[in-house]
Amino acid sequence: MDGLKKFLSGRFVLGALSIGLVLLFYTIITGRPDNNPALLPPIPDIIGSFFTNLAAGTLLDALWASLYRIFLGFFIGTTLAVIIGCLVGWYKTVEYLVDPLIEAIRPIPPLAYIPIIIIWFGIEEFSRVLLISIACFMVCVVNVIAGMKNVPQVYVDAASTMGASRFQVFRTVAVPAATPFIITGYRIALAAAWTTLVAAELIAAPSGLGFMLQEGRRYFLTDQVMMIIVIIGACAFIMDRTFRSIQKRLMIWSETRE
Amino acid sequence: MPEIVVDKLTHTFGKGGPEALTVLENIDLKFEDGSFTSIVGTSGCGKSTLLKMMAGLFDPSDGRMTLDGEVIKGTDRRRGMVFQQDAVFPWMTVAKNISYGPRLRGASVAEQREVEAKWTEMVGLKGFEERWPRELSGGMRKRVDIGRVYANDPDVLLMDEPFGALDAQTKERMQSDLLEAWRQSKKTVVFVTHDLEEAIFLSDKIIVMSARPGHVHHIEEVTLPRPRTDEMRLTDEFIQIKRRLWAMLEH
Repeated sequence: MDGLKKFLSGRFVLGALSIGLVLLFYTIITGRPDNNPALLPPIPDIIGSFFTNLAAGTLLDALWASLYRIFLGFFIGTTLAVIIGCLVGWYKTVEYLVDPLIEAIRPIPPLAYIPIIIIWFGIEEFSRVLLISIACFMVCVVNVIAGMKNVPQVYVDAASTMGASRFQVFRTVAVPAATPFIITGYRIALAAAWTTLVAAELIAAPSGLGFMLQEGRRYFLTDQVMMIIVIIGACAFIMDRTFRSIQKRLMIWSETRE
Repeated sequence: MPEIVVDKLTHTFGKGGPEALTVLENIDLKFEDGSFTSIVGTSGCGKSTLLKMMAGLFDPSDGRMTLDGEVIKGTDRRRGMVFQQDAVFPWMTVAKNISYGPRLRGASVAEQREVEAKWTEMVGLKGFEERWPRELSGGMRKRVDIGRVYANDPDVLLMDEPFGALDAQTKERMQSDLLEAWRQSKKTVVFVTHDLEEAIFLSDKIIVMSARPGHVHHIEEVTLPRPRTDEMRLTDEFIQIKRRLWAMLEH
């Protein structure tokens, strides 16, 4: 009995409850006779659009096109961010050299690069991946640098007095000590990747989820627009959750894990 | 023989600048091989600074220190240090922390296991090898710290108020255990503390330092017999030394 009560007041049930309420509210509104389905398509229409596009293959094509861009851009951006962030955070010379540049570029929203990237590289796959890479790099590198700078001095001193070389301290102390920051950087980068992806595809893409959104707007397929929004939300959510469980496993030593 | 000699050492932070602060002035000291020496003094007397310089964490602005006649410059595994703060790596298990030093020098897995087994036992952490530091109490983490430094087999052990954050009972047990480990290994120990009783209980020699700028005020030889026992803390001799040193720090 107690277990049931605990389950019912737990995060899972309450979370489902809030989502359920929103869906219920939406159903009531769209069920009213004066509702315009071109503005607020009823839930069955949205689900219908999902199956229509699934059957036609357009949805999966778009999904793969988008996921491919996300993964490639995310991988390139974060890999560079970890390498450069570690060097900047650990070696003073590199910091003095590179940090002002990063600080100068950082406030520029990645979407501001879209025109120049199109001018230089055209509306190509490369342009979209490049844009996502830039977005991921920028948000991730800041976290990696912060992580390296926040390595407690006493760990560094302890390792040094045990005879660790500067590089050994870097490898065996600084990197693991900075892992929580680095993983946070990865998660923020993932969110940035989605934001940038949709924006890039809205403006210039022959495929992808953003393209389907744009197509839905153009032909007034509001149910398709709604469906894609839900798909994007679900994908981003699943990826973030996956990341969190990786984080949990990697951070098993940390006191501040959930 | 590992013997540390401090020779006319003066240290000024921001030397030559407008806010130059001399924290240590004209220090001449000798730490004999296998001896246990404590450095006591009020805060600001530069005792921790002196110890960190012995570790090689930074260089003195004037004068020098030698270990076996070799000038100390930079950190070296020969001079191990236990810090006041918790320095146990939280991302390694107890065993991995203990064998960190040998692993740095490419010890084989078998050698690492041997070191881990020996030193977890020595510092009283047998059975905790696979635990994460976050699962241990403050006292146990300090034991990991000490075991890790011992396992690294330095010639000299520098300890900067290692028991400062522990409760009284834990502290006394740690002191006895430290003496036991020292008795078996006979490493030269330099122990910084502001706790007079701790200094008397542990040491052969106590260096009393005064502040502004830090200098050696007095050197007390502690002639209490070894092995030391907790009952000795209540003997007349012990209390007399404590009273004498206490008066010096109050002056």
